[in-house]
Amino acid sequence: MRRREFLQRLSGYGAAMLSGPALASLAPYRSRTLASLLIPMDDAQGDHLKAYGVTYRIVQAGLRAEWFLNYRGGAFLLPDGDAIRRDAALAGVTVEPVDETAVTAIRGEIAATNADAVILEKAPKVAVYVPPNAPPWDDAVTMALQYAGIPFEKVWDPDVIGGGLKRYDWLHLHHEDFTGQYSKFFLVFPGALWLADMVRTNGAAARQLGFASVPDLKKAVARAIRGYVEDGGFLFAMCTATETLDLALAAEQVDIAASYADGTPADPDADAKLDWRQALAFQGAHVEPNPQLASFSDIDGHQVNVPGRRQPLGAFTLFNFSAKIDPVPTMLVQNHKQVIPDFYGITSSFVRERLKASDIVLADEANAPWVKYIHGDHGKGTWTFFGGHDPEDPQHQIGDPPTDLSLHPHSPGYRLILNNVLFPAAKKRELKT
Amino acid sequence: MFRRPSLSLALAVFAAFAAAPALGQGIGRGFELERAGRYADAAQAYAQVLRVEPANLPALLGLERALDRLSRVADVLAPARRALAIDSANPAILDILIRTFVAVDEADSAAALVARWSARSPSDESPFREWIVSLEDRGRFDDARAAIALGRRMLGRPSALAIESAELEQRQENWEGAAREWTRALAAEPAQEPSALAQLEDTPADARGKVTDALTGADAPRAARRAGAELLLGWGEAARAWTVFQTTVGPDVPDAPYALHRFAERALGVGTPAARRVRAYALARFAEVLPARVALQARVEAARALLDVGDGTAARAILAPAAADSTAAPAARALAHTVLVYALLEAGQLDSAAAELARLRDDLPLEEHEQLYLGLARARIARGELAAADSLLAGDSSVAAVSLAGWVALYRGDVKGAMDRFREAGPYAGDRAEATERTIMAALLDRIARDTFPELGAALLRLAQGDSVAAAAALQRAAGQLPERGGRLDVLLLAGQAAVGTAAGEKGAADIFAEIVRTGPPAGAAAPAAELAWAQLLVRQNRLADAVSHLEHLILTYPQSAVVPEARRLLDRAKGAVPRS
Repeated sequence: MRRREFLQRLSGYGAAMLSGPALASLAPYRSRTLASLLIPMDDAQGDHLKAYGVTYRIVQAGLRAEWFLNYRGGAFLLPDGDAIRRDAALAGVTVEPVDETAVTAIRGEIAATNADAVILEKAPKVAVYVPPNAPPWDDAVTMALQYAGIPFEKVWDPDVIGGGLKRYDWLHLHHEDFTGQYSKFFLVFPGALWLADMVRTNGAAARQLGFASVPDLKKAVARAIRGYVEDGGFLFAMCTATETLDLALAAEQVDIAASYADGTPADPDADAKLDWRQALAFQGAHVEPNPQLASFSDIDGHQVNVPGRRQPLGAFTLFNFSAKIDPVPTMLVQNHKQVIPDFYGITSSFVRERLKASDIVLADEANAPWVKYIHGDHGKGTWTFFGGHDPEDPQHQIGDPPTDLSLHPHSPGYRLILNNVLFPAAKKRELKT
Repeated sequence: MFRRPSLSLALAVFAAFAAAPALGQGIGRGFELERAGRYADAAQAYAQVLRVEPANLPALLGLERALDRLSRVADVLAPARRALAIDSANPAILDILIRTFVAVDEADSAAALVARWSARSPSDESPFREWIVSLEDRGRFDDARAAIALGRRMLGRPSALAIESAELEQRQENWEGAAREWTRALAAEPAQEPSALAQLEDTPADARGKVTDALTGADAPRAARRAGAELLLGWGEAARAWTVFQTTVGPDVPDAPYALHRFAERALGVGTPAARRVRAYALARFAEVLPARVALQARVEAARALLDVGDGTAARAILAPAAADSTAAPAARALAHTVLVYALLEAGQLDSAAAELARLRDDLPLEEHEQLYLGLARARIARGELAAADSLLAGDSSVAAVSLAGWVALYRGDVKGAMDRFREAGPYAGDRAEATERTIMAALLDRIARDTFPELGAALLRLAQGDSVAAAAALQRAAGQLPERGGRLDVLLLAGQAAVGTAAGEKGAADIFAEIVRTGPPAGAAAPAAELAWAQLLVRQNRLADAVSHLEHLILTYPQSAVVPEARRLLDRAKGAVPRS
């Protein structure tokens, strides 16, 4: 069944040309067990981002791939076959045919160094949390998935509240404001039609789902998302979604929304009443009570929209984990660049003092009081938070033209996003940590 | 932008305070604590200063800021009252108290304080401003509207507090009302025009017509009409913008030069062809209103802008008197002459341009002179006056002239002569586009085993003259005279590329591309290039599945072709994997 889906997908790309010889070439693929294709992910790769798509489609077709952590930038080993070569050629993905002897040599090298091989066995079913009226090309993850050719479905509040998340292995949140304050956009974009539309759509959803206000709805959505992780889901969040998800969880019994959002002013003693045990990643934060300041709390280190608090952009460095001991964080930081230019979002980074002790820091800025990229476990699942909006548009403004990833096929920042998509495909095994 | 008097005053007071070290420690500590986000400690530090010096304004403002962050605004009341008892006429302290009364919902106290303050200064708008803004900030728009009405009654001026009123209307998304209030405000304070612009430029598209109508009505003051014109310019109505703007820069208007220059700068920023045209008009008018001794540079700039939008006649009209001005500096005159010759070329007056160039031989810098001669030669070529172009280039041994002479030879059908000159000119003569075009043509000619080919030359001349349809047909006929591996497919590709640029030629272009693609790898580089051009045409026709099919065929069949990266990008766009913009 899966193989058929794979063939359908490929045939969707190539229509007539693929149908004859290429389809025939897949059948004997399994018999050619000695031949493999290595997808290098170091500087030899022609399109790093699409390499994830090629690998995803292999796994989706029910075939087995391997991820060589810390070997040539996080290379993939795929079975050889004409259809696979064709898919890679169309995508501009560099592949290197390797025979059994070469693979044995690679495995020897992996065994002898800080590297490891992880089997990819199940293509995760991907959901992106996005409002129905969201403009296209407004979300780095959506752009990365579309560019790489990884299928995804969109979910929003009614699906989440209705328990629909259990259909998915991987959930992405982008710049949703889970405090229900519309990202405080009214400060900068008063009267904007899209903002009015956002307010209308969210208000209608709250009424439809029986909530008194949008902040109440978003708190319930946040709880459902936390439940999804507890039950074994993989959560990946960027930008505002990271900070506000935890604020919404910690503020389950506290009003932290300004009166324009729910008709009542925020509780002046909110800080003292927040229950950080309910949150995934952060603790002890000070909520920004002033509705006139475009900030949610002191979790974000860069405070991009607050004059006087805004911090300049630097560069963040990926941590080097022990692949054999910590394969999960190792997967999440696979890259051909270790130092990556930073980029703003409404939430750009996470202040170290606000992290829970159990958080794993995946990337930080040297000597800065903030980190960029964090990961942790919750229940049976995991979460990963990545600060910032668009890795290839460091000063992104609303209304900017969308990023064209065909101009950034080697983007190390976007690679981190795609590491997250592929990581749930890894075969579970006993971990030492 | 609209200013908040209390904030600017606070900053000014703080700056003054920073220079007084005796008072500095307590306040400075409070400020540092504020910056660190320790608002409770900051409030305590400011309160300590106020215990010693109750009317210390920086401390009072600091306390207000810190308590606001702690949502304890009510605690500002007592210290603010103590400060006012000591310094009862201090507007900053009065502002703090008014803000606080509004924040804690003591509406009567706020109104009473405003009334007392206003009674002391009956013509001053200040007592009402802070009150109105505070009410607006709290979302109490009806109360703010009532405060404006009361203020206007008490001040006896219906147009008083117009800026506050405009902001109120805007916050309630009544953009037309905001524009009307700005029109009133600008009658009294023309210098607020930038504030009006900044506030109104966010007007949603469906309200823009009413906003500009309100600003540009017959009774509107000059500053409002200018604001309306600049908004129209930014919203894509350049011609109407200029019509309105012209009425504000008459000869009796003292700030007309400044306004014209600002309008031109704004039009430059907009950058559309229509905006560039009105920029040229504004610069031309700017040159007219400047004193003669400084006008030449402005005239040159205006003429360049007019040339940029293809109005050579107007450019010439504005420059001719300046170029003839014997009192101008030699460098300025040379510049005027240069632009004038360009204007003549643009206007198609080639004989006049040639005569002018001959007359100016000794007055222009050598390089400038050469460039103008090349421009004249190009204009002759474009008209098909190849002999005249040849004679212009005959004595010039520069690589640019040699390259141009190569094109003249080619248009005459002298393939060998063209190739010799292209080789002599080398790969870098001219700008990048010119060099690329020459290299592509040299590569094509290299496949043609003929010394002369008049049919090809005539077809290429038609193409250079912009007659794509006729050129495409002529190129197809020329291709028919060549063997398949002797340049036929390359010339056919050129025919297809010429035809595809016209709506009428699309079908013919597709047939040509199909023929080349059918030939396959024996067609050499022409095959992938034709398949890419075909796919581009299909994408334009929104036949995406067909385009995808061709692009995939191209990438897989010609993996080493130089057009594969471009094909992959187009494939991504056709599949919707990247934005189509």
